[in-house]
Amino acid sequence: MSYLQISNLSKSLGRAEVIRGLDLAMDHGEFLVVFGPSGCGKTTLLRLIAGVIKADGGEVAIAGESMAEVEPEHRGVAMAFQSFALYPHFSAFENIASPLRADGLAEREVKQRVQEVAGMLRITNVLDHMPKELSNGQKQRTSLARSLIRRPRVLLLDDPLRNVDAKLRYEMRIELPEVLRQFETTVLYVTQDFKEAMALGDRVAVMLDGAIRQVDRPANIYRRPADLDVARLFGDPPMNLIPTRPQRHNGGGITVRLGESVLDAPGCPERLLDRECVVGIRPEDVHFLDSREGDCLPVRLEAVMPLNVRTAMLVTAPGALELTSSAWDIREARDEENDTAVRIDLNGAVYFDPDSGQRVQ
Amino acid sequence: MSSLSISNVNKIFRSSNRGQVHAVRDLSMRIDDGQIMALLGSSGCGKSSTLRMIAGFESVTSGEIRVGEKLINRLEPAARNVAMAFEAYALYPPLTVEKNIAFALLRNKESAAVIKRKVAEIAQRLEITDLLQRYPTGLSGGQQQRVSLARALIRPADLYLLDEPMSQLEPQLRATLRGRIKEYLVEHQLTTVFVTHDQTEAIAMADRIAVMDGGVLQQYGTPRELEDEPANLFVASFIGEPPMNLLAGSVADSADGLALDIHGEGEPIRLHMPQGVHSDAMHRELATDRQVTVGIRAHRMLVGEQPAGAASAGDFVARVTSNQWLGDQSHIGLDINGNRIFLVTENPLDAHTGDQVRLHWPVEHLHVFDSKSTNALFHGGVPRSSAATRTPQTSEALGA
Repeated sequence: MSYLQISNLSKSLGRAEVIRGLDLAMDHGEFLVVFGPSGCGKTTLLRLIAGVIKADGGEVAIAGESMAEVEPEHRGVAMAFQSFALYPHFSAFENIASPLRADGLAEREVKQRVQEVAGMLRITNVLDHMPKELSNGQKQRTSLARSLIRRPRVLLLDDPLRNVDAKLRYEMRIELPEVLRQFETTVLYVTQDFKEAMALGDRVAVMLDGAIRQVDRPANIYRRPADLDVARLFGDPPMNLIPTRPQRHNGGGITVRLGESVLDAPGCPERLLDRECVVGIRPEDVHFLDSREGDCLPVRLEAVMPLNVRTAMLVTAPGALELTSSAWDIREARDEENDTAVRIDLNGAVYFDPDSGQRVQ
Repeated sequence: MSSLSISNVNKIFRSSNRGQVHAVRDLSMRIDDGQIMALLGSSGCGKSSTLRMIAGFESVTSGEIRVGEKLINRLEPAARNVAMAFEAYALYPPLTVEKNIAFALLRNKESAAVIKRKVAEIAQRLEITDLLQRYPTGLSGGQQQRVSLARALIRPADLYLLDEPMSQLEPQLRATLRGRIKEYLVEHQLTTVFVTHDQTEAIAMADRIAVMDGGVLQQYGTPRELEDEPANLFVASFIGEPPMNLLAGSVADSADGLALDIHGEGEPIRLHMPQGVHSDAMHRELATDRQVTVGIRAHRMLVGEQPAGAASAGDFVARVTSNQWLGDQSHIGLDINGNRIFLVTENPLDAHTGDQVRLHWPVEHLHVFDSKSTNALFHGGVPRSSAATRTPQTSEALGA
């Protein structure tokens, strides 16, 4: 039995069915990221777990106990939001202490607990500061400390890095899992940024249209997305998705046609022979060549986009084939030449059924 | 289409209760015909005021703005022949999306067939083909933004001004459209200025980037120049994800030339500048004990054995504090000497939290900044003054 078990959960808001038979299970102490585009129902899911709204059907259970009849304040669930929501007229200390004050804890105990949490989040030295004197990073941690002070069994984080600047977001992406591990709490973290999902989660659940489409380690979702929607969402630059019809090559291996070129497709499932399908190729598997040689596609370079350490290149091949290629630090050499060639490595390619969208194994 | 030049432009806002705000200070830069310029910075840096002055929504307090040879400072916005996609620049509610996009072309009396083809082309690129027969009311913010962008890009103009053109879009769509929009701008040779706070977007799309802070241009250069030769600590830490690793240090003499000590917990870590051109040049510029900040980009450090050919300023052991594989690159947090730094590698690195890895810092990727003035002193062991001669716009813009 999992620590947090969500079974066949459903919820409609007005006429819209926001959560549709959602299943999700988490182990104790796990850090799970729910990743999905805005409007997929992520926030509603968190509100259902917290108990702020009631489900129409299905169940949330924590540590084997159904939460159906348990009031929000008795669930041991804490929630932190995008906006820091600190009380402006309280010091950082009083902000963090506020849930304990509401519980009527003794002053000594309050002090000790705040010090303990503040120490782990490294904000001890700003506890007497007012919110307006705190940097955004300190506000973030103060807000986090407040949600952790009651030692929740489950911590829900709703896109907490959305409104912070890029630098802090990067640092927090690295630090958060480390920091939260100390609390041994079960963390469900919601984001619409795939990089954040990949960086943060032991496991990632991809959520779309009110249901979970895939739960796996981030690297596995990246290489083997469950369906076309997941493939489109996961990756920057996104995966190339090209309609094709695999053929048997002179009684030998399977080939696919991309634009006007026919390429060996070693990993293509047999049952896709002579059927319409979509082949998914990661941009880093489209390699630029120095000259046109062997098994290559002649291409025209349309746009070069440096992306921090990698560079994405948009190219077109004969047959109106649009491809994105990505490479490690080669920007300069490619800027000048317009006509070049690429080699496509199909070893890591994935194949999808165009009707159901499902990946074909 | 035309070049754009901005010369010594100032913008001072005067308000009765708050006195003067000098929003843009002595700004000078230009882009050639068909090039793309990004105005990059955090909120309040002056980037939007600059764009609004070019558009004519704000007056220019002093200085000149020219499109081609034509001085446009005092022209009405409508007389400047610029196409704009601004957030506040609303769509026409009674018209369909298609008519909204085609508006300027209809006014120019282009043939119906040509208009239809052009609208279809831009709609496809921006993924709004399905929306063409709908009305603006009821579209999401991201959809409206793409319609507004399509409307601006489709009309003929001397100059295209885009204010945070993709701010309302989800990360995934933004990543896709970046390339499509850039391709369109390049293909049609549209001289473009766009404002963004997202350095990834600026680097991906622009030929030249103006990094602004506090109304002052910090550096104006190509993405490559900003990455390899940041003019000061602000630019170094604003550009790049992760931002450049920056460590406090000081200059020391060593037996065989010059050394840089990196401060932290315990004994400082010593970087040696190999004898020869690097240490000689640095010696001339740097007095012993001078306080400096040493920088290196996360993907420029080398892991493991020292590779042949690369002059190393030093190798040392770092402790792994985190290791994240992002699909096409690894981001690794490291502790050296109590300092937190980041390493990015192309392939997954087999290292767990607490493991030790050996790092090399190639001299050619080392940056040295003056800690007090925050200005760059050396890039890759070469004094900034000589590095700057290769990029005249940069030195001109900085005036440092």
